Parts: sequence; C-alpha cells; structure tokens
Amino acid sequence: MWQGQDDNTINMSQAEQARVDAVAMTGISKSFGGVVALEHVDFTLRRGEIHALLGGNGAGKSTILKMLSGVHKPDQGEIRINGVLLEDNSPEAARRLGIAMIFQEMSLVPSLSVAQNIFLTREPKDALGLLDDRKALKEARLLFERIGVGLDPRRQVGNLSAGQRQLTEIAKALSQEASVLIMDEPTSTLSTAEIDHLFDFLDRLKQWHASIIYVSHRMEEIRRIADRVTVLRNGRNVMTSAVAETSLDTIVEQIVGRKIGAFERKNRTDAKAGAELLRVSNLSAKPRLNEASFTIRGGEIVGIAGLMGSGRSSLARCIFGMQRIVAGEIRVKEKAVKISSPSEALNAGIALIPEDRLTQGLLLQHSVANNLTLPLLKKVSRYGFVLESKERGIVQECTRRFRIKAVSPNKPVRTLSGGNQQKVVLAKWLAVDPVLLILDEPTAGVDIGSKTEIVEIIRAFAERGKGVLVISSEPAELLALSDRILIMARGRVVREISSEEIEDWAEGATETTHRISSMEKGLQVAIQQEQ
Amino acid sequence: MNHPLEVTAEKTTERFYRRAREEWRQYVIYAGFIAIFIFFAITLSDKGFLDPNNLLNIVRQTAMIAIMAVAMTFVLSAGEIDLSVGAAAGLVSVTTAMALGQFGLVGGMLVGALTGVLLGLVNGLLTTRVGIPSFLVTLATMGIARGTGMWISKTAAIPILDRTYYFSFGSGSFGPVPVLLFWALVIAAIGHVVLRKTTFGRKVLATGGNETAARFTGIKTRDIKLTVLIISSVAAAIAGMLYAGRLHSGRFQLGEGDEMSVIAAAVLGGTSLFGGVGSVIGSIVGALMIGLINNGLILMGLEFSQQLIARGVIIILAVMVARSRR
Repeated sequence: MWQGQDDNTINMSQAEQARVDAVAMTGISKSFGGVVALEHVDFTLRRGEIHALLGGNGAGKSTILKMLSGVHKPDQGEIRINGVLLEDNSPEAARRLGIAMIFQEMSLVPSLSVAQNIFLTREPKDALGLLDDRKALKEARLLFERIGVGLDPRRQVGNLSAGQRQLTEIAKALSQEASVLIMDEPTSTLSTAEIDHLFDFLDRLKQWHASIIYVSHRMEEIRRIADRVTVLRNGRNVMTSAVAETSLDTIVEQIVGRKIGAFERKNRTDAKAGAELLRVSNLSAKPRLNEASFTIRGGEIVGIAGLMGSGRSSLARCIFGMQRIVAGEIRVKEKAVKISSPSEALNAGIALIPEDRLTQGLLLQHSVANNLTLPLLKKVSRYGFVLESKERGIVQECTRRFRIKAVSPNKPVRTLSGGNQQKVVLAKWLAVDPVLLILDEPTAGVDIGSKTEIVEIIRAFAERGKGVLVISSEPAELLALSDRILIMARGRVVREISSEEIEDWAEGATETTHRISSMEKGLQVAIQQEQ
Repeated sequence: MNHPLEVTAEKTTERFYRRAREEWRQYVIYAGFIAIFIFFAITLSDKGFLDPNNLLNIVRQTAMIAIMAVAMTFVLSAGEIDLSVGAAAGLVSVTTAMALGQFGLVGGMLVGALTGVLLGLVNGLLTTRVGIPSFLVTLATMGIARGTGMWISKTAAIPILDRTYYFSFGSGSFGPVPVLLFWALVIAAIGHVVLRKTTFGRKVLATGGNETAARFTGIKTRDIKLTVLIISSVAAAIAGMLYAGRLHSGRFQLGEGDEMSVIAAAVLGGTSLFGGVGSVIGSIVGALMIGLINNGLILMGLEFSQQLIARGVIIILAVMVARSRR
C-alpha cells in the first residue's frame, strides 16, 4: 500500500493508523432463506469522508446497514471497523467499535430534556451518587459548543423540530465516541433551511474525522454533500466512484441497470375518452402538502411519482379523508365534496388500498370470505342478519374472477401468500364498485406472477370507465400501469408526464437495455431534475 | 467562532416565555390547589374549614392515597398501570392483623410486607414475562386479592390489640401531628429523590417515554417495569398496614375504590397515563386536592350522591386543564 518500508516501527504504526479505513467490508455475501441479498460486496468508508450509498428497492442497501450495526451477520466475508474485526455480531459490539446509526426519532425519549437524552444511562453523578443534572447540562453545552450546535440542552425533546431532534441524535452518538455515523434518508422530514443546517454541520464533522455513510434518493443532495458514491444493484456493488468524477446520468443508469422486468407497459390509447372524475385544486395539509392540483378522467390510470417526503402519501390520505385538509377543494364528477373521514370518502365513491395491507387492509385472523364481504355487509344481510347464501355467491365470484388461490374461503387470510393476500384486498374494494380507486404501493412485497395479475386487474377496472390513482416508489410499476405520471416535490405536483413522453423514453432502448429500464431511467432523471 | 448553524442564543426573557408556553401545564395543579383552598376557606369559614383539627383530618384521610400515589407515579411513568392497589391494601390489612395475633409485632409487619412483595411479583412477572398488559393483569389480581382477603378473614374484621403497632401505624400522633403525616412525608421524599435524582428514576421515565429508544440505549425495560410494579404493591401494603393501624383491625373492605383516587391523584399532579412524564410532588398535591375536595363537599352539607357527582366533575375539569398534549 505504501513504500516506506524502512520507516521505524512507531512511525509506521502512526502512518498505518492514519490510513486505516473507518469501515472495510470485504467479500460480503448474505442470503435470506435462499434469496441472495448480497453477493461478494466490497465496500470501504475512508476516514473523514461522506460516502453516499445508493440503490433501488431490494438492491441490498439496508442489508449492508444492518450488518454494520450488528443486526445481521454476513454468511461470508469480514467487516473491519477502524481496523478492528467485527467478530461478535450484536448491536452492542458494533456500537463499542464506534458505529452509530442515526434513527429517525427512534433513539430519543420525547419526555426528557436534550441533555438528559444525550447522557441517558451514562448520567454524571455527584458525591452522594445522585444524578447531577447541572453537570450534565454543562457537559452538553461544552459538547454543543465543540461541534457547533446552537441548541439549549435544557429543552424537552418532544418540543423540538425534526431537524433539532436529528442534531440531538448526532450529538448523542458523538458523545458516545462514535466515529462512523450511518444516516438513512436523513433529510426526508426536514425543511429546506434545516437541510442547509444539517449539511453545514456534517461538513464540519468531517474535520473531526467522523466518517458518514449517507443513504438518500436525492441526487442533488448527494452531489452537494458526498465525497464518494457506491451503487448497489441486485446485491452487488456495481459502481464506486468519486462524486466529482461522475454524472447524474451515469449514477441513474447504474441504479436502474438492465432488469428482467415483471412489468410490461401497455399503451392504452383510448384512455383519455372519459369525462372528468376527480379534480383536486390547491390542496394543502400539514404535514407536507402545499397546493397540489391535478385531475383524473374516467378510464384513466394516473401514477404519482416522487421521493420520500414529497407529499405523495399525504395526498392519498387527504383524498381518502384520513388527514385533515387545511385548504383547497376536491371535486368528484364536477361536484365539490367535503371529505373529512374515510366513510365520507367511500360515500363519494373513493376507495383507498393502503400501503401496508397487513395492518391496514386485512383482518388477518378472519377468513377470506369475511374479509371479502366486510365492506359489503349491507348487501349480504337482511335485518342485520348475514345471509350465508348471498355471501357465498359473492365470495365465489371474487375468488374466481381474481384467481385467489386459497384452500378454502373459510381459511384465515394469514395462511395465504403475499400476492393472494393483496388480491383479496383488491377484490374486497373492487366489489364495493368505487368511482375512483387509490392504490398505495399496490405490488410491494408480492411475487412476480401475482404482480402481473394485479396489474391486469387494475387495467380491467379502468377499462370500465373508472379512475385509478397509483402511488408507488417503484418506477417500473408506475411506468407499466400509468397513462400519465405526475411528479410530486415539496408537497405539490411539479410536472406532468404524458403518455407520449413515456413512449419517447422507451425509444431510447437499445439492444442491451430493456424498454422498461430505458423508461425508468427517463423517469428517475425527471424526478431528480425537479428536486 | 461563527457557525452558520448557530441559532442566536435565546435571551432570558424569550426563554421565560417559551418555557411558560411549553411547560405551564406542569404547574397548573399547584395554582388549582391554592385556588380551591382559598375558595373553601372563604365559603366555609363559618363551618370550621380552617380549624387545625379539620386540616389535620384532611391529612389523615389523604395519607394512604398519597403513599400509593407516589408509587403509582413510577408505574404510570414507566407506561404501565396498577389497578390492584386498593384491593392489595385491604388484603394486607387482613394478613397483617392475623399475623400480629400469631407471631407478634415483627412477624405481623413481615407478613404484611411479604404479601405486598408477592403480589407485586405476580403482577410484574405476568406483565413482563408472560406479556399480558398490566391493565388486565392487575384487573384480575384486584379480584384475586379482594377475594383472598374476604376468604381468609371469613368476611369478619380481625381486631389488632398490639398498642405499639397501632401507635406507629396510623393511630398515633406526636403532639398534634399525626404519625400518618410522617409516613406520607418520608415516602414522598424518598419517591421524589428516586424519580428525579437516581439513574433508576431516569430509566423509568425513559422506558415510559419511548420504550424502543430506551432498549436501544441499553436499558433493561422489562426489569424496570417489574420493579415499578413491585414498588406499587409494596406501597399498597404499607397503606394497608396504616389502614389497619388506624382502625385497630384488618378488614378486607379497606381501600375499596382507592385505585381510582390514586390514579386520579397522579394524573391531576401532571403524571401522564401514557408514560414518560411523572412528578411525585405533583401526585402528593393531587392526593391532597382530592382530600380537600372531599372534605369541602362534606362541610358544604352535600349528600353523598351529590358529593360523588361534584367530585367527578371537578376531577374531569382539572385533568382537562392539566393533561399534557401528548
């Protein structure tokens, strides 16, 4: 590595010390029950650098982070932190070696003060062995002065803003002698001013030789703050480079790669025929929705793209009455409607299929049949009694039409596979026959075969003149489904991408890149341009 | 050094206003207590409200609730609840009285304390090791404790003849000052120091404030919860022994309904039902406030039915003002 063979031992060890990387992962492999998450990945974090870690869903980012913080053990390969081998894979061991994961609001107690949080379980004590809050306060002030945080350590954490809480967490980590900070999407809950503060702060931390692994989807941030960038795809390290020596296009290309997709785009030319179904004008809500406007026509599938914190989920929640609307208007079929609860949304003909079907969409212990008829109880009952024959008919039709594979409709839903569970959720809400269907991450965690089937079900629904709004963090899914795509940023719809534009992206496909990959690159670049 | 990050340091006056905005609810109980006291002092001045004997009476009636409320502060702060305290006090009064007759003074006290520890262990282990919510565990042990007391005493009062016992536990007084006041003051002082000034107290608040964060910081949250539930039962045992001393007998009915007064006292004093926030001094003042209200309503000559209604309304109003927003 270096030439100074004739240095004396002391100088050598000092020189070596300076060159030891903060994190060195070599030949890391890991699989979960036969699914390969990481394959022979090498990753180094130099001392005093900010290293961006990028990759799409399932690329292996979170597996790497979990290994570093001692949650998972690699099947193969070794991890060295500041030159020391991480042998005992536990969160405590990782912390002892200097790794600190900055969770979002996970590691602070809101009812305690900033100083009390920083010194939790390591409180300074007085001669009698009692807690010395004054000393803790003094030490916290010293620490804040040293790292340049202008926050009163006496304040209660529950009253702080998201940015101040984050600074508190970083300060807590530094006071525990952490030398490697892991930050996962740290800016998604921060305001622009707070992001500026954070970045200035991180820059200064570098001078203290803290090393930072930075995970984010915002390229603009990465160009601003990171020294080097590593891209993971399908569990492999496909690129490590200095940020200054690469371009946005190259990075996006590496993230997208060439995929054998489960999705195929279908250009539905007759989509624009219908009359206006939904008009949202200047919708604002707290948090994260700032005068968003758009329309959906009958028979149309509209996709919403955007980074975490762009307001896409807030938009869905507002339209479905789960989040309070501060200002703006929603019109269904050109009639203004007031929506302040999900039941009002359902009366207006709007249904939402939530992102987390396990906790929000299904009663897992109940049978497939009971789940299917839950929103239809009025239809299948008379005088408050459920008519079994009617129920059976509807259930049979649903399972046949949506090809739900269940041993029996009387088995609990939890015994079904993820894909079939999602089909039950879909069937349940389609049976209500809404005018507009909102889907939040409709195919997340679903096997490839079911993905295609779910896409088919959604298309068939739109063919009947209904409106569909799809929110997804998976670009391929959005591109396969949507007739139009709206890009959200900073709580509003900032750009609309027409069907023609998407097709234009597809034209960029060559022999070696798939059509979907080519469109995906176009969409990713478009999203990044709006940040 | 000039950091772009640095928020200009708060001026003292700004800090005062911010604190007033953020923290006034913590202190509202004290203002409320004083307001109610003045109200009764004026309206009931001719009925002997301010008579030292009446005021000491309030202390005597409040001491047991206050002692249990000190421990309940820890339980609520850790994010748990203990509904069995009233029944535990009743059971302990019976076991103590029976053991006093059998084994004398020391044996009686030991058996009383052991009953408390045992009940706390059952509550705590079922909550933390089996994973049943403490609400359900203590709802069940409330019935079990009350039933056991009824059964072993054959529903009869067990007389206590040991003079030393009933002097030191509840009946005695030094000059005009009842022994009960010393008990309550000592336990309140210990409770306050432990919650505010020891690592254990800090761990209790962290456990209730954000259990995940507490565990990530290396706090054994299960042990903390087990400990606070044992503390609560032991405090209930002390209250039961004081009840027995005051009435010169152990009766299974003693402490009936106390769990509600105790929880109300703690919540009035600013302790959060959802954990993470607790104040021992607040709980003591809350207990005194409940005693004050009971006493004032009796002096006003209200019927028992009217007292119940008035007390309920006052407690709801006070909690509405005092509760924390989270």
